[in-house]
Parts: sequence; C-alpha cells; structure tokens
Amino acid sequence: MEETIKSVVLGLCSGGIYALLAVSYVVIYKSTRVFPFSQAAVLIIGAYIMWYCLIPWNLPIWLGFILTCMGGAILGILVERAFMRPLVGQPILAPIVVTLCLMLLLRGIGILLGKGDIQGFGESFLPVGAWKIGFLHLPKIQVYGFILCSILIVALMLFYEKTRAGLGMRVVHEDHVVAQNLGINVKRIFQNSWIISCIIAAVAGMLLGNIQGVGLALDVNGLIAIAAVLFGGLESFTGAIVAGLAIGILQMLTIQYIAPLLPGETTMMIPFVFLLLILFIKPYGLFGLVKIERL
Amino acid sequence: MAETIRDVAKKREQRYSYGLTLLRECIEKRRSSPRPDHQDAGKKVLLRAENLSIAFGKLLALNKVDVEVKEGEILAVIGPNGAGKTSLLNVISGFYRAQKGDVFFEGRRITRSPSHKIAELGLCRTFQNIALYTGLSVIDNIIAGRHPHIKYNFLTGMIYFPWANQEEARQRAIAEDIIDFLELEHVRGSVVGMLAYGLRKRVELGRALALEPKILLLDEPMAGMNLDEKEDMARFIIDINEFLKIPIVLIEHDMGVVMDIADRIIVLDFGNKIAEGSPDEIKSNPKVIAAYLGAE
Amino acid sequence: MSININRPCGTFDRNYFQAKEIYRTPLRKVLLAILIAGIYLLPFFTGDYGISILTVICAFSVGMLGLQIITGYCGQISIGHAAFMGIGMYTVAILQKHFGLSFWACLPMAGLVPMCIGMVFGIPALRMKGLYLAFATLAAHFVIVYMISNWRSVTNGTDGMWMKRPGPFLGIDFTADRNYYLLVLTVTILMIYLATNLARTKMGRAFVAVRDNDIAAEVMGINIAMTKIWAFGIGCFFAGISGALGGAYYEYVNVEWFGLDDSIWYLGFLVVGGFGSIFGAIAGATVWKVMDEFSTLVTPLAETFLGGAAFYASAAFSLIFYSLIIIVFLVFEPRGIAHRWEIVKRSYRLHPFPY
Repeated sequence: MEETIKSVVLGLCSGGIYALLAVSYVVIYKSTRVFPFSQAAVLIIGAYIMWYCLIPWNLPIWLGFILTCMGGAILGILVERAFMRPLVGQPILAPIVVTLCLMLLLRGIGILLGKGDIQGFGESFLPVGAWKIGFLHLPKIQVYGFILCSILIVALMLFYEKTRAGLGMRVVHEDHVVAQNLGINVKRIFQNSWIISCIIAAVAGMLLGNIQGVGLALDVNGLIAIAAVLFGGLESFTGAIVAGLAIGILQMLTIQYIAPLLPGETTMMIPFVFLLLILFIKPYGLFGLVKIERL
Repeated sequence: MAETIRDVAKKREQRYSYGLTLLRECIEKRRSSPRPDHQDAGKKVLLRAENLSIAFGKLLALNKVDVEVKEGEILAVIGPNGAGKTSLLNVISGFYRAQKGDVFFEGRRITRSPSHKIAELGLCRTFQNIALYTGLSVIDNIIAGRHPHIKYNFLTGMIYFPWANQEEARQRAIAEDIIDFLELEHVRGSVVGMLAYGLRKRVELGRALALEPKILLLDEPMAGMNLDEKEDMARFIIDINEFLKIPIVLIEHDMGVVMDIADRIIVLDFGNKIAEGSPDEIKSNPKVIAAYLGAE
Repeated sequence: MSININRPCGTFDRNYFQAKEIYRTPLRKVLLAILIAGIYLLPFFTGDYGISILTVICAFSVGMLGLQIITGYCGQISIGHAAFMGIGMYTVAILQKHFGLSFWACLPMAGLVPMCIGMVFGIPALRMKGLYLAFATLAAHFVIVYMISNWRSVTNGTDGMWMKRPGPFLGIDFTADRNYYLLVLTVTILMIYLATNLARTKMGRAFVAVRDNDIAAEVMGINIAMTKIWAFGIGCFFAGISGALGGAYYEYVNVEWFGLDDSIWYLGFLVVGGFGSIFGAIAGATVWKVMDEFSTLVTPLAETFLGGAAFYASAAFSLIFYSLIIIVFLVFEPRGIAHRWEIVKRSYRLHPFPY
C-alpha cells in the first residue's frame, strides 16, 4: 500500500511533464488539425540548447531558460513557415509524413548538436535532494519540474480563455474557413500555435534532460505523450492534462509492479500497449469530440 | 456480343430498347431464380417500411413514417427542406440505424442488415452530394459498382489468367452497356473528379444501375441541372422503370418533374408523413399546400 | 486527360480483352521482355557490389509494394510496416533454427505469419480512420519490436539470429550471391505480377473505393471491414516475404534493423515514389537504396571534413538528408516520381506539342 501511494505521487510529479507535452500536441492539433509528431524531437533540441547554455557557455540558469524558450520559438516559426505552410490543401497523409520526417530531421540535428553523446548537466540546475513527508520521498527535481509545468499550463489556459489571441485560436479550431471570413488571420494563428507548442516542448525537454540525461533517448517521452494525448482526447486540454498525469502514474506503477515480471524496457513499452487498448475501447479518448459523418 | 450491340444501336431510333441489353439479361436471370412468384393481378409490394422513427439527439428526423413501394412504380418523396427525405433513404438503405420501426424488402427483414448486404440484395441508391470514387475513371466507377456480382475471389484475381480475365471482360461489357444507355461514351475514360456536375450525377446513376438493382432510391437526381439536363435525366429514369422494370423511389424538389413522372407521391414534413396519393390528389391536398406555402 | 494520350497512336480495341491490357501493342510486349531479360543478365556485368544493391532493391520493392497496397491503394496509414518486415525475417530465422525447416518451406510462412498478425492489427482500422490508425500502427510497431527484443528464448533477443540461404535447387547453389540474386529477382517479379493483377481486379477496385469514399463504398455493396482487413493482410504478406528475402541475403537478422526510423522511411519513400501505382512503389524502393549507398559513400568524405567528429555525422547525415528529400518531394511533387515519369512519357508522346 505504501509503495502504491509512493508510486502514485511520484507518478503525479513526472506526469506533470507528460501533461505539458500532451498540451503541446493538443495546442497544434486544436488549431491546425495536423498532428505534430515532430514535437517529440523538439524535446531533444530544447534539452541540448539548455545544456549548451549551462555547460559550455556557462550562463546563469534564468538566461539559459530564456534562451531555451527563444530557441523553441524560433524553431516553431521555422517549422511552420518552411514545412507546414506549403502543405495547405493536401490530403491528410501529407502533414503526417512531413511531421514524422521532421521528427527524424530534428533528431539528426540533435545528433549534430550533441556530438552523439549523452551529456549530463553536471549538477542539475534545479536543487537536488528530496523532501520527506511521512513515508513519501519527493525528489526536489521532480517537484520543481511539476511546479514549473503547472505554471506554464495555467498560463496557457489563461491565455486561451482570457485573451483575444486565445479566443482567435479557439475559433480557428472550429472551422478554418469561417474564421478566415470573420477576419481572423488564420495563418498567424497557426504560427502562434506552433510557436507556443515548440516553446512548451523545449521547456519540457529541458526538464526531462535534467532528469534523464540530455541525449537522443528523450524523444521516447514524446511518443509516450502521444498515448496521453489520445487517452485524453485529441482536442481537449483538460483531457491532455488529466491523461498526462495518468500516464505518469501508469509509468510509476509499471516500474513498481510490472517491470519485475517482464524482461526489458517495459516502462517505455507499456504506455503503447495502453494506447492500443484505448484505441480499441474508446478511440476518441476521455474528453474528445466524436465526428459524425454526413452523406 | 458485338452483333448484339450493333443491333441494339440500330434500334435506338425506336425508343423501345437501347443499351442495357446485357444488364437486362443479368437482372432477369436473377428474377427468374427459383422463388415462389405470386402472379397476382394487383401490384406486389416490393419494399415496405413500417413505423420508422429516428432522432438525432432531440431532433426528430423521422416520426412513425410508413412507406410502401409496389412493383414497377415510380414513387416520389417530396417535402420542404429538413423534412427528413434523405434520412428516410438513409434508413431504408441501412446507412442509419432506425430507432423504431422495420424495413422489409421482398418480404425479408433488412432493418438490422449491414449496408453492403442490403446493396447485394438489390436495394441501391444514389447520393444527393455525389459520392463517387474520385480517383477512378467513369468506367472504373461503374465496374466498381459491379463488385458484389463479380464472381472470382482475390486469389484467382491475383493469378488473373484465365478466370479473372474472362470475368473482367464480361463486366466491362456490362459497364459499357450502361455507358451506352446513359450516353456517357465521350467521358468514359475521364477521371471522375474532373467532370461537370451533371455528368457526375449520371455516372452516379450508372453506378447504382451496375449493382443490378431491384429497386432504386434516387436522392435528388435533378438537383442543379437546367431544363435540358432534367429532361435527359427524366428520360433515363422512365427508361429504367419501363425497360428494366425497376421501381424507383425519387426524392425531388422540382414539382414539374415530380408531377410528370411519378405514379405516387409521398409528402413529408418535419419527419411526419402528411399525405400520400397520386399527383392530382397531392396537388389539391390542403395540408401539402400549407406545408409548402405556409398556412394562414 | 482522356485515355487517348496514354496509348500509342493507332491502337484500337476490338474486344474488351484488348481494352484491359496493360501492354497493348506487340512492341510494348517485346520491350517488356527485353527489360526483364536485361535485369536478369545485369549481375553478369556488375561486380558483387552491384549485385548486393540490386538484391536489396528487389527486397525493398516487395516491401514497398505491400505498403503501397495498404496505404496507396486502400488509404490506411501504416507507420509500422518495418516491424512486419521484421516479423517475416524472424519467422524464417526461428523456423530454421528451432524447427529445422528449409528455406523453401519457410518462405510462405514468412508471408503468412505477418499476414495474420497484420490482420489482427487491421481490426482497429475498422473503427478508425486516417490519423487514429497511424497511432495504432505506431504503437503496434513498438510492441512488436519489444516482443522480438525480449523474447530471448525464441528470438535470441537483441543479439540477432543467423539465417541460412535456401538449399540447392535444380543444381543451383544459392550461397553464391549472383544465383541468390536471380532467385530474389524471380520472386520479386512474381510479387509484382500478383500486385499488378490485384490492382486491376475486383479487390483492387474495392481498395480504391474504400480509400476514396468508404461510406459510399459500403452502401454500394463493398464490405469495407473485410476489405480493410484484407488490405492489411496482403500488404503485410508482401512485407514478410520482403523481410525473408532480405534477411537471407545478409544471412543474419537483427531487431535493430527495423526501428521506428525504418517504418517512417518506408512511408516517406513511398511518397517519393508516388502513391497508387506499382511503378511508384518500385521507384521509391530504388530511391531509398540509392540514397543509402550515397550516404555510405559520403561518410568518408565527411571524415576528411570534420575530422574525428565524423562517426556521428554519418548517422545524422542519413536522418537529415532523407527527411529533407522526402519533405521536398511532398512540398513540390506530392504525387511523386511516378507522376513525373508519366509527365515525361506524355511529353515525349506529344512532342512537339506542350500538352
């Protein structure tokens, strides 16, 4: 029982990062109806930018954070302009293939950046150690990461609900053509979605790099976050957050209970089994919208 | 085979039989398959829908609608927009599942059957917003419509010679018959996506014909056409009805066409059937006039 | 764009058999025969290096044909195709090692086992379309790779397994690369024949109907559930055969050869080759192998350029280079090489008119 609660709480902490990643997917899918597989690789780039800032260039942490966000923003602009915009009007397969190839492209760039090695941050830039609350062992890195993710998510939600730009994004989600006719600059909205999503993904990459080491294996987390997005429903932020936390808990429980039973890297595989189960049982996710086709 | 088609082309002047020879053979072969044939003097009921009700959330699309289609007649379904005409066709052809009520085709219950089985049984339909296979050419679309009646499985298909070869040629002949009948020869090889709207409607009709239908459900076949094209389409419909002896259920907005070619008319309004009868009866029915023009 | 442009001048069909023919004139049939004979004779002129490239191109072509059937003809997006190729490879290796069957007996099994597994994974395809199916196949890929990597008792885990080439047949010894290439070529031509026929018969039309308008297809008498499952099945059959052929060439199989990257390259190079045509699949496979060789050649150059940093540059190079090629093709020529080839042929035929 204790172990279960420990796993659940740890899962919540790490689930925060998955929730952030899931939100980054949903942001783009909501406005552009393109599923950005490439965000999995933006993680790697974000982690490497932070690493470059901290270790070779020895900048203070806050500057590194800002540079990571800026790097993410620039990446978002580039990707949207160069790769996504020419694809308007093509059937659904085209953006899927392009985002998949982008994922590999960014991974290749990540290899070049990092010279192929896994780097560590040396000392983590967040305080190390853990707090003890009763029998719970809360590693400080995870908790700070969770707090940062929550702040970002809350900021994004406020942006969506309260500001005009956020309102524009919500309208574009419903119908591109109608939004354009209402005077909303749909292209700018697309660009903003990509920028926001890449910033979030870069920050998540930075946090994950701190925990797991800055290397090429980070994009598996991105793929696991896809399972979270589907679980929550492709178009719902609430779903993404809830599902991200759920996947985090699932992973921790896997480590606790299933990993001793099965050989190999189950923590990376079980979320995909979970994904298949979701697709079998409830393909539209917890909070997703079901599309009814009319003839 | 070539001689038959040449003969048929010669007879085109007499509006008695042109085109559709092969298709007619197929249909009559199926009709004469051993089943008890009631040769009663009155007309046999081919399709019967009882008490159909379907609702989308709170929107009641159909409310206890009864439809009967007798052999050899043209039944028109009319009504203002949103009356549920397309929903009626969708329910009968199995695309929607009725929440209440039953559909009987040739005495067999088809309410819960999957749509492709219903199509195999001989109940074929066209669509209001054309649903053709946009990547295929016209002839390929029609041959694709022949799918349930093509008699080889995929293994012999992959090996191709000799079984599939023969069968493909035969199907091509039947498809060409339909193209002859519908006067689509000039666009036979064009990809459907590039055709004009009127031609696409004709290809859609051809594809429905290719299924060897025992009853045809046409959803607004004359929408968006000018007078010339409407007359052509009406001619085709009447020919199908008289020559192939296929009853037709027709959804149409053009009152002139409906009054001219329909044997019986059903009027729907907000999901309810408000009138049924011959064109003259409907023309003077006060409920129908109220539905279309508004009551005072 | 009527059908007249695609035919040589002066050909008229006298019956429907002629109308269906792909190679319509005697000249075309002769040219086809010469082409096939030429490819058979090619290994006698190229060295071992050429033979290895040709063998792998043939093996990839069969796999690409499978993906073309699933994605190009039937419109079901499959990001797990490399995993099914792996299942085919491992089936042969396992049957050879644990059951001692000969290669000839293993080859059909190498097709059937991925076919059955593929049909199982096609079941989610019935309810989902497009994007959701991509997710399902992505997850399927990971699950399959995990199972192969970790079922140590059967598959030797990540160490890989040995595969034996087929035994001598009619006195031909297949341990020689050139003879094995002829065998692979024969199987490939057989597969292309089957796939072409599939495309122009009832099943192929059903696939295209499901791709173009599956709701209408259902109402027009096509059982879309079975059609989609069969598309997956047949496509994975081709993938399995492709894996068996390729694996027997290298005489060694390893699970690391079919990671997620390879699945994505399959899909990407199919786009480059062109959807919806047999030629597109073969073109895509050829481009892929040529790019592979090109990147292998470039690596030593990179070493002179970047010094010791080159060992990772080669890994990055293939990732970046292929992605850029695929994206460029998608942006500028989404219908791929096959479409370009059609345009070339047409402009040759219509010369000197522009269209």
